[in-house]
Amino acid sequence: MDSSESPPRPPLRTLLVRNRKRTVLGMDPQKVIKYFFGMNASTAVIVLVLIMIFLLREGIDFLPTYRNELVTYRRAGLEFCDIIDKPLKEHQSLSSSLRQSVSGSLETLSKTARDRRDAAFLLRNLAEEKASRQRETLEQALEQTPPPAADKLDILRREQQKAAAEAATSLVYPDLFTAAEKQQLQTEFAALTPEVTDLPPFLQTLAADFTAKDREARTKFEDLVTAQEEFEEAPEGLQEVLDELKEHAQETKEKADEFHVLEINRQRLLEAAAKTKDADEKASLTEEAEASVAEEVNIEARTKELTARAGELREQLEIYVKAAEKASASLPQEAGTPAATAMLADVRAKLPVHVKEMRDAALQLDTWRSDKPVSMISVIGAFFFGSQWITNSSWQDFFGFVPLLTGSLVIALIAILIATPISVIAAIYTNQFASEREKEFIKPVIEFIQAIPSVVLGFIGISLVGNLIKDFSEVSWLQWVPGFPIQERLNMFNAGCLLAFMAVPTMFSLSEDALNNVPRAYIDASDAMGATKLQTVFRVIVPAGISGILSAILLGLGRVIGETMVVLLVAGNRIAIPDFSAGPGVIFQPAHTLTGIIAQELGEVSRGSSHWQALFMVGIVLFAISLLVNWCARAVARRFEPHKA
Amino acid sequence: MKRTLLALTLVIASSLAAQAQTTLRIRGSDTLGAKLVPALAEGFKKQGGKVSFDIAAEGSSTAFTNLAAGTAEIGMSSRKVKADERTLCRSKGITINEIEVAWDMITVVVHKNNPVADLKKKQIMQIFAGDIKDWSEVGGTPGPISVYTRNTSSGTYKDFMTMAMKGREYGSNSQKMAGNEQIVSEVASNANGIGYIGYAYSGSKGIKVVSIDGASPNPAAVKSYVLARPTYLYTNGEPTGTTKEFIDFCRSPAGVAIITKAGFVLVN
Repeated sequence: MDSSESPPRPPLRTLLVRNRKRTVLGMDPQKVIKYFFGMNASTAVIVLVLIMIFLLREGIDFLPTYRNELVTYRRAGLEFCDIIDKPLKEHQSLSSSLRQSVSGSLETLSKTARDRRDAAFLLRNLAEEKASRQRETLEQALEQTPPPAADKLDILRREQQKAAAEAATSLVYPDLFTAAEKQQLQTEFAALTPEVTDLPPFLQTLAADFTAKDREARTKFEDLVTAQEEFEEAPEGLQEVLDELKEHAQETKEKADEFHVLEINRQRLLEAAAKTKDADEKASLTEEAEASVAEEVNIEARTKELTARAGELREQLEIYVKAAEKASASLPQEAGTPAATAMLADVRAKLPVHVKEMRDAALQLDTWRSDKPVSMISVIGAFFFGSQWITNSSWQDFFGFVPLLTGSLVIALIAILIATPISVIAAIYTNQFASEREKEFIKPVIEFIQAIPSVVLGFIGISLVGNLIKDFSEVSWLQWVPGFPIQERLNMFNAGCLLAFMAVPTMFSLSEDALNNVPRAYIDASDAMGATKLQTVFRVIVPAGISGILSAILLGLGRVIGETMVVLLVAGNRIAIPDFSAGPGVIFQPAHTLTGIIAQELGEVSRGSSHWQALFMVGIVLFAISLLVNWCARAVARRFEPHKA
Repeated sequence: MKRTLLALTLVIASSLAAQAQTTLRIRGSDTLGAKLVPALAEGFKKQGGKVSFDIAAEGSSTAFTNLAAGTAEIGMSSRKVKADERTLCRSKGITINEIEVAWDMITVVVHKNNPVADLKKKQIMQIFAGDIKDWSEVGGTPGPISVYTRNTSSGTYKDFMTMAMKGREYGSNSQKMAGNEQIVSEVASNANGIGYIGYAYSGSKGIKVVSIDGASPNPAAVKSYVLARPTYLYTNGEPTGTTKEFIDFCRSPAGVAIITKAGFVLVN
């Protein structure tokens, strides 16, 4: 080749740029290229800023809107009703305990009879289900008009009877029944046909047995049953007055809202009329706008009507309190079972507190003012510390942030607790102990996890992990685990497991990088001191790489908090603060999350409504949390960075 | 800037409208959109209707947001349109037109092994409002009740609140599920579960229908069942073209057969 002899060709860049001294927009091409690259880099920054501006623009109006809603809530007197309504809820919870106590006591006598009855009915349903195909064919034939020929019907009948007999023999009869009874049940099930609707005789006997036992039990625990009924009925008078007041308040609010909505509608229609060019359409829109006028309601006057009945409310409240105390006093000391007795004691202990709350509420009625201003701070408090997230309500929407935040945090914590050991230990192994071939296998496999779409993981969570956890929790030798056996297969633990799985690749790769970045000199020095491999790893390499590992964990946390699809599908979507009194078993409760609520509700709310803005507020907070976590990760990485040798 | 954007949207919208001759976009209620409307669409195509369907069912509210945005030809809803939704559509130049399709019965279901077969209306209210917390309070096997409801965008969510709960709030222990199928699968897998679904789903495996005050949902006696309600289709103005053909098909004997088979009921 002669290329070695001829002078080297000038590089392409020189040809393009240096030799032609052209300028673009007054800049030389080098600068243009520099700016072009710079622009690309800054796009990310600009987009981030735009996202922030957009979020703030949509969300910032939330506080004033929510404040307006709370003002209406107060002015229309809904708050007035809630003063009594809120503490009255405790009555339901006490009633629930009493009902459970009653049914627990009755069970001591009637349990066997009930179990026998329920088991027999369940078996009957199973028998019918097993022969359902033949049964349905026969049913359809019987319903036909004109009815099919008699011989055809006979064939169907015979088939159905055969199927019923087979189903009856295939059933497993529990030992609640004696051998003779089992035989009788089998005969009766074999004779089941859609043409006889009456219950077979033995089933009837079982049902009658239970009724008799139940009656007997009710006479035995008469004191308890009567006291429970009295307690249950105690608030009826109060409830009646309260319901009337609530209706009145709601009507006020609706009228006020209607006025507001119609006014907005009018503006909207007028705007649309101004925009349209079609004359007919314009006329019709303007006409509709003019029709959309409502009379402004005098809220103050209506609310006065409400407060005027405070005396009546107090009177009824006193009647209720007396009745409840009387019922509680007539509760027997002993119920049928220890658990039921404990519940009675619990009710007796809680009742004075409840009574005091009710009486306090009665006092509050006097000091309540409908025109007391709602301060901005209380609105902010209602959002950030509110424990209720109630939307699409017919009474009052509340946007309290705490249940969602706790859900998100608990799930993230579970995920990080599971993912951290797995990914860090895997990283240490891969980086320090694995052979080259193992490394080539492990790294791509773990990184591949990232490629699984989160919605697929969500489906795995619903169809596989949930059932696995549930089956596992029913294993008898595992019952010491708090929260076992679990009831909900969609719960925070399930979501946490899946999110841990999703966070592992991020945390593994970053931890591995951090270990890789430990200066060679440290390791050599350690070796030179005669340290073993294990000593080097745990005394030198891991401490030196700890900043990287910590920031890997934090970045994993950021990923987990922001994940949406999995938690929406798997976390169980219960909008309530998890019941931490359950101890560590709390992780098996369902919850809702910050990301999940946005995904679930944003699609349906009308733009610009308070609900819409509330969801954007949640988005802003979520964004802030993610930024904070990322910033922490960077700060940690910088703070502990080893000095490069 | 605004003008160019507007023009651009108009161009896109008109090109979409031109396409709409071949695609019917249907949005809204999950109760209608999960089984009935797809079945009707299938029947319509079989009958020779040359049209492709694009159906998404995420709750009744989405019917109106999509109609207003012009991203749907037909909206499905299990409740009547609200006044503000109507004007929202009107202000975007869309006049809502209501067509009653069929009646649906909200069915309360429990796990198939649950011995409870009948509940009083008041008990149902108390269970869903969180007052009754344990099955032993209504004569069942002791165990905490798990309540499954639809999510807040669902028309059924609100309907159930007014029809069965006197407008009371759902208890904070309720779990909000995306659709009927999810409620069925959760109730079927949880021995202490209770939930409500459209009648069309009541034959699903693993669940049992609970009668209310002794009355089971029964197509022959729709109006006497406490939780029966009409369902609607909404169009922009009087339906024309393919939309009209499809709506007419729903009224034809073939359409009625599909409606009945899907577990809905026609009431004249």
